[in-house]
Amino acid sequence: MMKRLLALTMAGILAVGMTACGGAPAVTDAPAAPAEGAAAAEEAAPAEEAAPAEEGKVYNVAYLVNGNLGDKSFFDSAKSGLDELEKAGRITCTTIEMGGTDEDQPRWASTLDEVSADGSYDLIICGTYQMPDYLKEAATNYPDQKYAIFDDTTYVGESPNVVNLSYRQNDMGYLIGTFAASMTTDTSVENINPDPVVGFVGGVDSPVINDFLLGFIEGAQAVNSDIKVDVRYTNDYVDTAIAKEYGLSMINDNKCDIVWGVAGNAGNGAAEAALETGKAWFIGVDSDQELTLSPDLAALTLTSGLKNIGNSLIWLFDEWDAGRTYWGQEVNLGIAEGGVGIVTDKNYDKYASDATKAAVSQAEADILSGKITVDSAIGDTSGKVEELKKAVQP
Amino acid sequence: MSNLLSNMLSPGFFFSIFRISAPILYATLAAIVVEKAGFANIGLEGLMMFSALFGSLASYYSQSWLVGFLVALLVGVGMSLLMGFFAFQLETDIILVGIAVNLMGSGGTLFLCKIITDITEGKAMASTTGLITSKLCIPNINIPVIRSIPFIGRVLSGHSLLTYTAFLMCILTSIMLYRTSLGLNIRAVGENANAAASVGVSVLKIKYIAIAFSGLMSGFGGAFMSMSYAQGWSQDMVAGRGFIALAAQAMGGGECLGGMFSSLLFGFAQALGIKFSSVGLDSNLASPIPYAITIISLAIFGFVRISRAKKPKVAA
Repeated sequence: MMKRLLALTMAGILAVGMTACGGAPAVTDAPAAPAEGAAAAEEAAPAEEAAPAEEGKVYNVAYLVNGNLGDKSFFDSAKSGLDELEKAGRITCTTIEMGGTDEDQPRWASTLDEVSADGSYDLIICGTYQMPDYLKEAATNYPDQKYAIFDDTTYVGESPNVVNLSYRQNDMGYLIGTFAASMTTDTSVENINPDPVVGFVGGVDSPVINDFLLGFIEGAQAVNSDIKVDVRYTNDYVDTAIAKEYGLSMINDNKCDIVWGVAGNAGNGAAEAALETGKAWFIGVDSDQELTLSPDLAALTLTSGLKNIGNSLIWLFDEWDAGRTYWGQEVNLGIAEGGVGIVTDKNYDKYASDATKAAVSQAEADILSGKITVDSAIGDTSGKVEELKKAVQP
Repeated sequence: MSNLLSNMLSPGFFFSIFRISAPILYATLAAIVVEKAGFANIGLEGLMMFSALFGSLASYYSQSWLVGFLVALLVGVGMSLLMGFFAFQLETDIILVGIAVNLMGSGGTLFLCKIITDITEGKAMASTTGLITSKLCIPNINIPVIRSIPFIGRVLSGHSLLTYTAFLMCILTSIMLYRTSLGLNIRAVGENANAAASVGVSVLKIKYIAIAFSGLMSGFGGAFMSMSYAQGWSQDMVAGRGFIALAAQAMGGGECLGGMFSSLLFGFAQALGIKFSSVGLDSNLASPIPYAITIISLAIFGFVRISRAKKPKVAA
């Protein structure tokens, strides 16, 4: 009996430990003010209003990939942006693929150190949640070297020579919401039913996930004020099976015909639910999931909300050229800066009607011109997310 | 409320109970048999993770779900024998071995997945979800006559092959434990290893068989997770089912039938939580429902057992 008790206690401890590990990274307040076209940059309060860099300065850039190119995701996106800059003659770029396995991790630190010690680079770029610790160490050791890290906000402001690039998920959500609400009543597309109900499978009921959701609901409501949004949370980012159960329930019980999965790997469970029922479509998040999902699931992925890493890097150099730098800060990039967007080729192009496409580009233009400001759930204590969720509950 | 009822009375609701219960049932059977042999295998979660990963990988590289499924079983058995080697031969505490397997099941599988597939992590953790298509998954079975019965057909027919085998295994395990000499030996070793040894039972061999059986069941469970329930392996996808099974084993009184009912109870509770969320119950309230029901049932079970144990004393 003692042994059994011990076993159960251990099991409990482990279970708790594992759920705790599944949490999303902490988020700091973004210093960037709401996007308002070109004005956004000034409002983000550049750290140094240095004199504009000399005309036509060619930056020497090192891009350290903590994995390999060809991921059809963030690494490739960053590379495409840097390629574009290089082609335009604005930078010279050295890309170093450091490998992505745990065995390679020691090399990440040493490569970062070597490249920093070299001293010939104006900027060293890296990204993702795996790099902040290595970067912090290098940034402390080489205070004169400038660094940029994309899609990570772990140590914002702790190193005065690092800029953290983050992405405005509520802007992205707004575009996806606009798209989904336009599509969900377009019964000329197969598997679309006439009911204006769309679904959202989120990871954890947390400010970051709700930021996606808030934009999603606002965008959907702008298209159709009667829209219903079925919101479910898997309460972790790993349990694909439970995400699938939620997806099945949304599709079968509440007639959702489009489900947006925003729950890490678990979100793909919603795509599997759509596949199993044959009655719904899926929308991906962060990178173009049509390229990374298996062919079955990619076929029913209508589009994906995008974090445009490449565009955000171009924006960074545009700002630098204009004499605005953000060292030691986080910049939160929305549609205005090209930081987020929506996939508009492949299935989107094939299935979306002209009216849907027009609605999406209009929404994009309106956010760009400042006509629409998408609310954010981050730092919001007014309870408007809860209210909105209740209002759109099917 | 009427919505909730109509959602609950749909065949889909009852169908989902079986689907949710199946992987837990496998792990519960694994826990039952080792418990009968007198020790605890808390590494079921990790074993399932390994089986899930290698099952999906083998299925992809061979382009055959059957090969993938067999490899999942093999990996489950192999890993569990290794656990046995550490625990019985090298005399490591079996609980510690279990913890080690669970930790490896979380981090080690990701490591292996990256090494084997060369998939790197840009945004998402490496996974095999992009490799596995429907035809590489374990097929669903439509049962000829039953499928045409209204309602019941939609509850009982069309499940994954492995959902049916889960309940079949439950019966077979029960027969094995109570109707075969192997089962007798397992129980004898669990009751009193020295007594069993004194009548010529090889305690070590029986313990190995028991832990291998738990590995086999974990193999079934892992294959179900990555090749049927979800398409492909991703990190921590077993998501605690191996631990819930330990509770289901205790709740079911360590017997197969009881374990099956506890698994079904858990499946019912989970399905119920999902239906509650379909009518807008806050997910923070809906998702703990299965766990709350498990704890409450465990408490009731414990209470009943204690009061039963007390009765004879009072009579005496």
